[in-house]
Amino acid sequence: MGTIRMDRRLFLKTAGATAGAVAATQVGCLKYFKKGRSSAADSREIPTTCELCPNKCSAIAVVEGGLIHKLNPNPENPKSRDMLCARGNAAIKQVYDPDRIKQPMIRVGARGEGKWKPVSWDEAFDFAAKKLSETKDKYGPQGTLWSSTEGFQEKFFVNLGQAFGSPNIVRHPTLCLASVNLAYGTTFGTVPSFDLLNSKYVIMAGANRFESIITPDTMDLIGSVMERKAKLVYLDPRFTVTAAKADEWYPIKPGTDMAFILAMINVIIAENRYSKDFVSAYTLGFEQLAEHVKPYTPEWAEKETEIPARDIVRIAREFADAGARALYYSGRRSSWYQNDFQMRRAQAILNAIVGNWDQMGGMVPNSTLPKGEFLFMPWDEPKAPRVDEVKTEFPLAAASDGVYLKLRENVLANKPYPIKAWMVYKQDPMNALPDQSKTLKMIEQMDFIGVIDVQMSDMAWYADVVFPESAYLERTDPVEVMPGIWPAVVYRQQVVKPIHDTKPNLEISQGLAKRLGLSDYFDYTIDQWVEAEFKDLPIPMAAEHMKKHGVWAASGQPKYGATLTPDHRFVTKSGKIEIYSDRLKDAGYDPLPVYTPPVQPPSDRFRLILGRVGYFTHANQSNNVWLHEFMPENDLWINPVPAGRLGIKNGDYVNVASSVGTVKIKARVTEEIRPDCVFMLHGFGKKSKMQSLVYNVGASDAVILETAWDKVSGNAAFHETFVKVSNA
Amino acid sequence: MAMKKKRYALVIDSRKCINCKACVVACKAENEVPVGNFRNRINEERKGEFPKLSINFEPEQCHHCEEPSCVRVCPTGASWQRKDGIVLVNYDECIGCRYCMIACPYDARYFNEEQGVVDKCTLCSHRVDRGDVPACVETCPSKVRIFGDLEDPKSRIHELLSTRRYKVKEPQTGNGPQLYYLL
Amino acid sequence: MHETNWGLLIVIYLFLGGLSAGLFFAAGLANYLRVDDKPIYARVARMGALLAPWPVAIGSGLLILDLGNWYRFYKLFMHFRWESPMSIGSWLLTIFTLLSFVYLFAWLTEAERTWIFAKVPASWKLVHRLNVDISSWRETLAMIGFPFSIGVGIYTGVLLGAVSARPFWNTNLVAQMFLFSALSSGAAALLFAMLMDRKNPIEKHETKFLVTLDVVFISLELFIILPYLIHGELSTQAVKAALGLILGGPFTFIFWGPFLVLGLLAPLGIEVYELFPAIFKGREFHGSRNLALAAASLVLIGGFLLRYIFVYAGQMSGFHSKMGLLQ
Repeated sequence: MGTIRMDRRLFLKTAGATAGAVAATQVGCLKYFKKGRSSAADSREIPTTCELCPNKCSAIAVVEGGLIHKLNPNPENPKSRDMLCARGNAAIKQVYDPDRIKQPMIRVGARGEGKWKPVSWDEAFDFAAKKLSETKDKYGPQGTLWSSTEGFQEKFFVNLGQAFGSPNIVRHPTLCLASVNLAYGTTFGTVPSFDLLNSKYVIMAGANRFESIITPDTMDLIGSVMERKAKLVYLDPRFTVTAAKADEWYPIKPGTDMAFILAMINVIIAENRYSKDFVSAYTLGFEQLAEHVKPYTPEWAEKETEIPARDIVRIAREFADAGARALYYSGRRSSWYQNDFQMRRAQAILNAIVGNWDQMGGMVPNSTLPKGEFLFMPWDEPKAPRVDEVKTEFPLAAASDGVYLKLRENVLANKPYPIKAWMVYKQDPMNALPDQSKTLKMIEQMDFIGVIDVQMSDMAWYADVVFPESAYLERTDPVEVMPGIWPAVVYRQQVVKPIHDTKPNLEISQGLAKRLGLSDYFDYTIDQWVEAEFKDLPIPMAAEHMKKHGVWAASGQPKYGATLTPDHRFVTKSGKIEIYSDRLKDAGYDPLPVYTPPVQPPSDRFRLILGRVGYFTHANQSNNVWLHEFMPENDLWINPVPAGRLGIKNGDYVNVASSVGTVKIKARVTEEIRPDCVFMLHGFGKKSKMQSLVYNVGASDAVILETAWDKVSGNAAFHETFVKVSNA
Repeated sequence: MAMKKKRYALVIDSRKCINCKACVVACKAENEVPVGNFRNRINEERKGEFPKLSINFEPEQCHHCEEPSCVRVCPTGASWQRKDGIVLVNYDECIGCRYCMIACPYDARYFNEEQGVVDKCTLCSHRVDRGDVPACVETCPSKVRIFGDLEDPKSRIHELLSTRRYKVKEPQTGNGPQLYYLL
Repeated sequence: MHETNWGLLIVIYLFLGGLSAGLFFAAGLANYLRVDDKPIYARVARMGALLAPWPVAIGSGLLILDLGNWYRFYKLFMHFRWESPMSIGSWLLTIFTLLSFVYLFAWLTEAERTWIFAKVPASWKLVHRLNVDISSWRETLAMIGFPFSIGVGIYTGVLLGAVSARPFWNTNLVAQMFLFSALSSGAAALLFAMLMDRKNPIEKHETKFLVTLDVVFISLELFIILPYLIHGELSTQAVKAALGLILGGPFTFIFWGPFLVLGLLAPLGIEVYELFPAIFKGREFHGSRNLALAAASLVLIGGFLLRYIFVYAGQMSGFHSKMGLLQ
């Protein structure tokens, strides 16, 4: 037998070589895994203000190695209450979205075909200015439409439109909150905030605060309900997250909120539970109200709302007994039904009679803070009347905002005069307006469409030229005051230089202005503008403070009751809180809310209702990869009973058809909705290929929603569409 | 002077969770979690029949257990635990066998396809070490999670756990999870 | 349902690892048993020794490929962690594989050794020095190898059984179940190989030996499966829910049909039928080639399916607390 002997030297050599080889791979691996992150020394923190929704929360951007790594909440902003929601955190992916518009582009194919030619800014500006001038020559400056949505830089776009001489500036409020603002404004002279932090009894109807995030309302409400033990009564045809957290939820019959409110008023007055002192000292029209609500009994309301009369009575009592700390929450997106204005008026009146005005836990008029103004050269008022005839048709509506749906109707009919050019800022009318076929027709009528946006929205996709706006993290914006119970001044400063060839809206407006001969009106920089605003801020060393902290708020407790003095004059015709409104009467509207039952869908159809989730903002965040992960595709909520009848199973694709369009969407068969309603989320079924995550994925509600509006405020009515649902 | 022993943990008040996903995105940004992977999640329970319904949300992530089974089963010791209780993965030592993923009673871990290693919630140890709280704790609108040191009698979580009823998930495994859910 | 992290590669490895363990065991046993001092099963032993290293070598290769970073597999050998069944297992596996290769070498004839070393370049003097006859080491090697082969057979079960998070696995019976399955698979593979060897046709006593081995191990396996099911059903909710996967759930058919009936009961039946006259009636063992082939194949299928069912169903099991997993 041979034994195996090893030459020691040879062994060591072999072992050494092996070890060396292993070590080499080890080092290779280390290099492979070393994160390309710079050291802590490279890290900077820059405070700014978020722009991913209208709440304007304060955030602190952490930049490492020139890249935005994280956004942290800024505890110094009382409105955003030291938090940052999913969208705020996901703003990073808005900046680094591969689908972003990276330079100006001019359309080369047909509108909507998606053939684009990248161009220089000069070429884009020249092209747009030429087209706008042509339109002006043929149709006058009023032949151009300037539509925009709120934002810190919106004013430059609006100013440009006005300087151009067009009266046709239209903004988003009549797609959103025009009716609630007008209703509360008509009653109280101002739109108050709701002190949910200190409230003891809250009734919320359809305002799904736990998914439709409004700061600080959402955060204050969850704390009040779960910690401070406020009672939350919630009315909604859907079992939303708010319903899940509420103490009581009623699947109210859609469109009958006014019946519920009037019955509550009926009970409160009949049982003398209203605040007599408050009513007599500050309000006008109580006697008319008392007479007016007599027929609106709880028993009557039960038939309308499908909420048991005894619950209505009990809730009315509990509400009134909570007195100044009871709130019937106004809601925000009030574009529901054609009677929305009057319904919100009923809300306002209910709030008024329990005396929760300007009290802790009640409705509190907003405090504000002074800020400087940059003075620039003013232009002449446009000569022509508005194309949407607001002053004649909607005399009480805010003329400067316009009435969007009426405007579209008029434009489509070319009356009172044609609109042939359309400039759009930060808005996607293709998805924001109901009945997309009408929007497409309107687009067809235009000789020119120019869109300014960060991403290639559906509207931008159909434009002739797109001007890419820099994302909020890439720009410095005007200073803004956020009024409220805890007012704050916020600042947005550039965190990183634009990573693509994009410009802030001011520079885009200036570029256009120059070629339109309007340079004089825009002869300043953003820094100059901001410096002027810093000047009058009530902060020592304002500029330094705002650049270092991003926000300033007054310390101390909010002031309640400032308006509850005998000589206080409310900003109404009478100087008092107008329960009965002469102003409404004079304009030809009901001075007190009169109930009309909503039109019911025929038995084979459903009412389509809309709503929100906490990780999308309307229709414009669904392409953000970090948010899209939570809902890759939208679906249609349908109750199992009608679904069974129609042979629809969970996950089946269904056709949803209204009188204006049809879409195909996945069905979510759920108990969490009334059998007579269906629900879908916004922001899907996009036509823009540069929204690649949602291009052709899911369905767009804009395609099937029908056009309707509230006749007093002009606010869109989005819940008046009846649809047929069938297996696809 | 000897360093006082620390034991980090989370107290979670699920009733306040509104499923807004802020914590999930904050964690994603803070820790560069790849798209498709998640270090934390919101469990949902939906039950009932119209109109008697309920939905409950329950945030969950790695429980940083007292006796983590993931650390025990790891063949290379890549899965390890700090003295303050935070369980981490050493990305250089992990061979990607995924045994720890199977051994975790809470499905807290995920496989990073690109790097070939297993990963999970680190309680933002890099933030904790400089005196901050984890990203999920900080960003939450409802302040659902409370972070603290169980060994610190002055900490809020110490107070909460002493005065409130709570539960942990799956105690029968003997892992000693350190996510405390207030009841 | 929980994620599936271990897939087909792991299932195959568990099967191949068990197969090698069983082959080695059968080979060692075959060599050890003498009748009238004659090593009448020597051919069985040799075949087993020649076959034993290959399944586990291939399986280990698959195992390494399954890793997130395959070239990091060496890290397994920089640590020895008592509490990690995978750590212990990797060492067991490696030592066993090496041993089984040495054992294979011990059973090579002079001619075979010469043929192999002829392929090695003459200048590799160190390698040629290994060309020695170690047939005298056979018993020693088998003796050393037995515990390792049992270890490999058992540890694959411990790997699963030690995981308290997976109620389908977390029982002390899983280790034995896998062991007996491994041993019976090994015996069946050996039987199959010898039946297929036309050049050296198997002899009746050899068939009988392997069939008997198989019957014993299948029976032992059944004796483990039965309490696994019964006790499981009488156990806690999580375990009962886990067992539901094979008692009405998605793995029910594959467990009772292909696995239990086809993979265990059928071959057992065939083999008992074959042995019946020999054992009970003092007559000749049937030794039908086709029946033996059929039985051996079914056992191999059963062995694979056992691991397939356990790996997949096990990962599906968990503590189904009232919350679902949803993002």
